Amino acid sequence: MLVVIALTGASAIACGKQNTQAFPNVSASEAANAPDLSLRGVAFARTADGRITARGTAQHLDYRRAGGLLNADVTAMTLVPQAGSQLATFGLLNLSAPHVKGELQEKSGNAWGGVKVAATRGDRGATEAVEYRGELITSEKPVQLSGPGYVMHGNGMVMQADGSFMRLTHGVTGTLHEAVEAAK
Amino acid sequence: MIALLLAATAAAPAGLPPGPIEFSAQDMRFELKDRRVLYLDGDVHLKRGDLAVVSDHAIANLAAEKPKPKPPPKGKKKKQAATPMAAGQEIEKFTVDGNVHVTRGTRTADGDHGVVDMPAQTMVLTGTDTVPPVLHDGKETLEGDRILLHTDSDDVDVQKPRLVLHRAIKSGKPSEKPEKTAEPATPMRVDAEHLVLHNQERLARFTEDVVVHRGDAVMRSPKMDAHYDKDGELTVLNMRGGVDMRQGDRRATGKTADYDAKARVMTLLGDPKLYDRGDVLAGDRIEVALDSSEVRVQKGKAHLRPELHREETASPATGGARTRGALENEAHP
Repeated sequence: MLVVIALTGASAIACGKQNTQAFPNVSASEAANAPDLSLRGVAFARTADGRITARGTAQHLDYRRAGGLLNADVTAMTLVPQAGSQLATFGLLNLSAPHVKGELQEKSGNAWGGVKVAATRGDRGATEAVEYRGELITSEKPVQLSGPGYVMHGNGMVMQADGSFMRLTHGVTGTLHEAVEAAK
Repeated sequence: MIALLLAATAAAPAGLPPGPIEFSAQDMRFELKDRRVLYLDGDVHLKRGDLAVVSDHAIANLAAEKPKPKPPPKGKKKKQAATPMAAGQEIEKFTVDGNVHVTRGTRTADGDHGVVDMPAQTMVLTGTDTVPPVLHDGKETLEGDRILLHTDSDDVDVQKPRLVLHRAIKSGKPSEKPEKTAEPATPMRVDAEHLVLHNQERLARFTEDVVVHRGDAVMRSPKMDAHYDKDGELTVLNMRGGVDMRQGDRRATGKTADYDAKARVMTLLGDPKLYDRGDVLAGDRIEVALDSSEVRVQKGKAHLRPELHREETASPATGGARTRGALENEAHP
């Protein structure tokens, strides 16, 4: 989610200048920490190969050019997996987080305040906070997952950003529904 | 063992109730490329109904997504599936590895590897080359090369069972004063190629190379049924397909043999014969009391060779002497 936000942030910034606000009467230190760009009511879309791969909104988005720092509040995003990809099994993936912070150059970031994911298929995930670094998304907070036929709880999580691998760590519990033979 | 297993059945439900499987582990991982597999590692616990499984590792195989059913032809009544598969996420099979411990009711089992097949309602437990899987109930144990537990019926299927029937012979309730003349219960050890426990029928069916060891007596037959009462106590052993029994120098054969666990008497039928150091005794029916070595024969025909027994003492304390005395009294040469 973060990487997509990070990648799409730039385009949002580029097309959102009409929403920038001035920062009157600020001190020198405040001015130094002030974002180069601050947006309100942002809507963005990411395209690749002529198709929309992600779209989302943020209530508030700040960008500092130095270090490529990105801060966003009340973010929501929908990922559209490519047809035929492994993620396509889940359908659309809707992600949300109250707070997101990213470093575009470092390709790292955090989301916190209650990070949620919901798939069209019915899969749900929630945790207090996640960290994105490299290609890994991790959480040291309890993680709740549920979906068709399963409910899981872990005390930590490691997953590949593309969703190809996920691991619940530090103790995991859950229930799985069993398969039964269909009536002949 | 069997007695306890069968006794436990009376209180246990006939099968596991349908419902989800609860699990816990240290870690769980999921890879999208084989999205129908979940890997559980470290102190794995699985629970469904009264069945609990503990192991070091487990792999959960999820059911394949079912293809959408074709619309029924016109005019034909639509058949409904028992339970629809929800997006192919139902668990189909659990494979557990490493220090596998199974608990169900009063019964426990241990092994190194197990496979829980949900649609088939079975669990197969195996061991290592040196340590076989073991089924426990109290101090009773049943070993075998492979133990198959039917979770829907409580039946058990064992390949190459090796077990000791400690409770096979009732020696009186604990509250009762033991009779002075009562001998302590002699455990029975049974080896066979195959064992199936039918709990509803209170029946243990041994097949292929059945060997029963009881004290110095060894009985062999191709198949044997062990019947139990409602308390799980052995009542009767029915050996069929040709029986060969040996006890010391004595050997008895017959087409069938029935062992009365209460009377501790083995009855041979079907051209039964008793061989005892050169003596041959035949009859319509031969009864051998395993504890006292006494023999009773109906319509007996004996071929005795006293010259072979000149050096034997006639002490009634010896089993051989008592046996021959019974032969003289009961046989009709």
